[in-house]
Amino acid sequence: MRVGVEVGGTFTDLVAIDNDRIAITKVPSTPSAPEQGAFHAVSAAGLEVKGIKDFAHGSTVATNAILERKGAKIAFVTTAGFRDLLQLQRHDRRNIYNLQYQKPEPIVPRSGSFEVNERILPDGSVLTALSEADVIKNLVPALRAGSFRAVAVCLLNSYANSEHEEKLGKLLRSHLPGVSVTCSTEVVREFREYERASTTALSAYVQPVIAGYLSRFSQWLNDKTFDGQFTVMQSNGGLLPAEAMARSAITALFSGPAAGVVGAARLAALSGYRNLITFDMGGTSTDVSLVVDGEPSLATETEIDRLPLRTPVLDIVTVGAGGGSIVWIDDGGMLRVGPQSSGATPGPACYGKGGTLPTITDAHVVCGAIHPDTQLGGRIKVDLDAARKAFAPVAEALKLSIEEAAESAIRLANANIVRAIQLVSTERGRDPRDYVIVPFGGAGSLHATAVATDLGVDKVVVPPNPGVISAYGLLASDCVKHDSLTHRIRLNAEAPALVHKDFEKLRESLQRQMEEIGLGAPYEWTYGIDMRFVGQAFEVTVYFDYESIENLTQDEMERRFVDAHQRAFFHGAASKRAIEIICLRVAIRKKLATVPRLMREANTSEHFSDAPLFSDWKWNETKRLADGLLKIGESIKGPAVLHGTTATVLVGVGWSGHIDEQDNLILEKDKA
Amino acid sequence: MKVSPIDYAVISQALHAVANEMGAKLIRSAYSTILREARDGASALLDRFGNVVSQADLIPIQLGPIGMTIQPCLARYPAETLEEGDFLVSNDPYNGGQHLPDVFIFTPIFFEEKVIGFGASVAHHLDLGGGSPGLDTDATDIFQEGIRIPPSKYNMARDWNGGNFERLIEANVRVPDLTIGDFNAQFAANAVGAARVQQLCTKYGADAVCEVMQEFIAYSERRMRAAIQKVPNGVYYGEDAIDDDGVTDTPLPIKVRVEVKDEDIYVDFTGTCQQVMRNVNVPLSSTYAATLSCIKSVITSAGIPFNEGVKRPIHITVPPACLLHPVSPAPVRARLEGGYRAFGAIMKALSQAVPEQVIAPGFDTTTVICFSYHGEKGFQVNLEVFGGGYGASAIGDGCDAVDSPLSNCSNTPVEVMDIQCDYVRIVGYKLEPNSFGHGRFRGGAGFSRHYEVLRDGTKLAIYADRFRLQPGGIFGGTPALSGFCGIHRDGKLIKIGSKSSFDLRKGDVVEVFLGGGGGYGLPSQRDKGLVERDVAEELLSPDAAKKIYGLKTQPREKVVERV
Repeated sequence: MRVGVEVGGTFTDLVAIDNDRIAITKVPSTPSAPEQGAFHAVSAAGLEVKGIKDFAHGSTVATNAILERKGAKIAFVTTAGFRDLLQLQRHDRRNIYNLQYQKPEPIVPRSGSFEVNERILPDGSVLTALSEADVIKNLVPALRAGSFRAVAVCLLNSYANSEHEEKLGKLLRSHLPGVSVTCSTEVVREFREYERASTTALSAYVQPVIAGYLSRFSQWLNDKTFDGQFTVMQSNGGLLPAEAMARSAITALFSGPAAGVVGAARLAALSGYRNLITFDMGGTSTDVSLVVDGEPSLATETEIDRLPLRTPVLDIVTVGAGGGSIVWIDDGGMLRVGPQSSGATPGPACYGKGGTLPTITDAHVVCGAIHPDTQLGGRIKVDLDAARKAFAPVAEALKLSIEEAAESAIRLANANIVRAIQLVSTERGRDPRDYVIVPFGGAGSLHATAVATDLGVDKVVVPPNPGVISAYGLLASDCVKHDSLTHRIRLNAEAPALVHKDFEKLRESLQRQMEEIGLGAPYEWTYGIDMRFVGQAFEVTVYFDYESIENLTQDEMERRFVDAHQRAFFHGAASKRAIEIICLRVAIRKKLATVPRLMREANTSEHFSDAPLFSDWKWNETKRLADGLLKIGESIKGPAVLHGTTATVLVGVGWSGHIDEQDNLILEKDKA
Repeated sequence: MKVSPIDYAVISQALHAVANEMGAKLIRSAYSTILREARDGASALLDRFGNVVSQADLIPIQLGPIGMTIQPCLARYPAETLEEGDFLVSNDPYNGGQHLPDVFIFTPIFFEEKVIGFGASVAHHLDLGGGSPGLDTDATDIFQEGIRIPPSKYNMARDWNGGNFERLIEANVRVPDLTIGDFNAQFAANAVGAARVQQLCTKYGADAVCEVMQEFIAYSERRMRAAIQKVPNGVYYGEDAIDDDGVTDTPLPIKVRVEVKDEDIYVDFTGTCQQVMRNVNVPLSSTYAATLSCIKSVITSAGIPFNEGVKRPIHITVPPACLLHPVSPAPVRARLEGGYRAFGAIMKALSQAVPEQVIAPGFDTTTVICFSYHGEKGFQVNLEVFGGGYGASAIGDGCDAVDSPLSNCSNTPVEVMDIQCDYVRIVGYKLEPNSFGHGRFRGGAGFSRHYEVLRDGTKLAIYADRFRLQPGGIFGGTPALSGFCGIHRDGKLIKIGSKSSFDLRKGDVVEVFLGGGGGYGLPSQRDKGLVERDVAEELLSPDAAKKIYGLKTQPREKVVERV
């Protein structure tokens, strides 16, 4: 049996798959000790731990440690003259007219920041050597006096030569036993000192937290005589064995959203769809991502709590549009949705738990997509009158009927999602019409056909049980590790050979790391080359598969880069400028033997009366079914609503749907 | 209005997103460090009349008056006469522009063969000729400051990519490769804007998009007027001064009268000193930008989109030939210093009207440090722009070490300097303890940057301010430290003027010190915990904590850990 447990902010989801049987369990999360919620999910599902072969886990522990600043007491060490790197940041403001602007709070305060005498130059040569005596005499006692549990080391230009960091790391580890030391080159070997220092500090900060959490988790599994493999999800969309993760904690960030994208990608791939726009719409926000040829896209730059992070993460854009997002009118009379959310309490007005502000969920209740007979989450009975009452002030301000106001709010939420999708597609030089939409999360499938229509996309693939795709994704992910190397190479005839040599180095190192954690061949490899025109500061990553790397030529690199640059930036194609390579990236992947399937639930017991749906500014006759009632091969014409236990699917006006052989619900826009 | 509320909300937000995408792409595909690392550029979408509809959240001084910059272009080349491929360009301070390095490019957006708006971008170009690489601090007229492009119309196919305009620019600048690259990034940003607006027109119709543009401007105006109405009616006065003009030691006073009347504000700079012979004169559009930025920041929430509508309730009078409205050929390169003093004077005036909403004077100065070297690689120019500490507010301490309110440049990473620049090396970059003013809330800390000179013949040029006159505190807060620039040579520190240049030698260490922001309210009202935090963070010396805040500090006990 394979079990995936995903700890989210509100719910902890479990999906267990054993041959053709699946079990799905949702229990409340326990934020103060997240592992308890996970343990509870296992017992609530009635699972015998001993029988579990693969136990895959994702949690918000690392993310929360940073957001709530509950990480270890941490020190930061850098080159003399630059103690304040983490405080100075980049000297800019994110909000230009806010006089009370504050910078993001650094992970390490000034009092925890220290300097060491040394300097390396960008060509790797040593300008000032690191003195061991100096470290032992000055730095070690200072760190000891501060009782730090973790130390982040980021020395200038270490990406070009890691010698000093390695030496310093070794000294600190031997003189400060029990203190977790993280060097920048172990986390990210790329230039720009603030971003690298920030990444290193974040990593060092969550290291002891993740190590402690996973050791408690492993202990519990061992106590239950677990003898399978315990793996943990990373932000890059791959799994790692728990013991390996305890040493590369930073990759545990954003693992929940990443698992969801992988889950959606795998399920859609079963039906042959490999170019996807996924959107995961939950209670407070929507996560949008692009999947190209079956693989989620990566971003090499992201941030958490406004602090920069430079390890590869899935390229996910989040907008504040979820079921709980509050609908309001601003002081210029414009309709707005979010980013404020009604949260779990009081929740939308229709929950009847004291919420009075209108939300997107309330809008769906007013318009009839969420049926008054529905028991949301199996427990909450929706209150139509409360939802209508909440929308009355908005309707009045816009001089619309209550249902028109509700539909306007839904359309605006759709527009916000469309906007996020444009960020990951159009703005990256990709046309969304070349993709199919894959919605998931509790609310995604309510918005999918409308979002697709707005984008000009004519196909939507709704996976079975869209409410637990993240937990499923844990079971469908491969084991993955990434590494990168900054090496400035002019793109000329000699470049392919140099690139080969660097890739070889990265491959050897990654393969060794995989073998060390017990993951043997065969592997799959992905290669990325960051390039730019000479003189530019930002690179465009171009990905290559194994074969094209073997036969890499200067022309091919040039062509691929110029094409990508032109698509994203609208210039470059005609440029005769020289090109340079800045960074090389390799990912190693140990494939999962088989991708498990997620079946549609067999729930056919509930009956729904055919209440109308308000859409396109009028009430429409609407077909309603329990999700399990639509059988493979059967089709349904919109407007229609499929009521499931983890999510509701809205088939919009002008759309039709059928269940395919893989249990995916395929929605298609009717030909005009 | 014909457009439904929902289409209005969707289209207006899309227009804002377009401006931001243009800005992001301008920066990310640029070539010079001033644009790609310091991000000294901006972008906006304009309607077909040349009114700003939406702008990227980049540099306030460049953004506010884009509408003023395009007007002289449109007066000469009306929108209906433009053809596909045409673009308008100007950097003329005496025709709606700011200072010469800021080149504004406007690309008409066509839909069904009609101009429906303009994509606009502006970039600070590293070098546009003139008396000295990057920055000529001795210029006594605008002709010495570089090439001047009057409001002009060119065509991409005919005049760029080897055409006459490109060749003209190339022939007049010292680092043509970077400069032409940055122009290309501007053209591309405008093309992105045009493509996105055309997509919106295809979906919603050009009429709807144009109507939303007008309504979006009206929306900002409504919100601006609603905010002004909350400010008590009255006449308020404020004053500030620039240290000097770089030649004499005489401060240059800037005076303002601000009258708030129901939902309009009348700003009058009569009484401000006359224009001067050096580069601190402020072209009219920069004066407008400073005025609008200050009023908007103080009286409105940050959420009101900045566009033409913000400008409508604000009426500005500046007598000609004064420092804030110079007449040609006065040099204007350091126009931001006067812009900040106009900003500060208005802030002081408004502090009488809305004391809870203003902040204390910050370091509020643009310090431009330009190193250049002419050697075997031709000209090399490195330009950096620095702010300082922000002024404290009624609700918190000022932001430490950040660019000043009218600008928003990033620093250049030390590792980027190490790669790019083989004539100076950054050897120190740190916060400056005790550099801020004290009060109930303290100002933001200033900072310093140290450069070691690696080659004889390296030149330094600087313009700055607040080397003499400190940023004051308000409501009982104390002033912050002023700034300086000095060269450590042979064990001595040679301090140089705030608007000057200097020939450097190998081994010199140049120190640039940026001061902090002023304090807000009485120091005696400061929370003791905050004082202790500042001492623990080594931003406030125990002596100062004792003297100013009466804090008695215990010598910190050494914690000895068992190993």
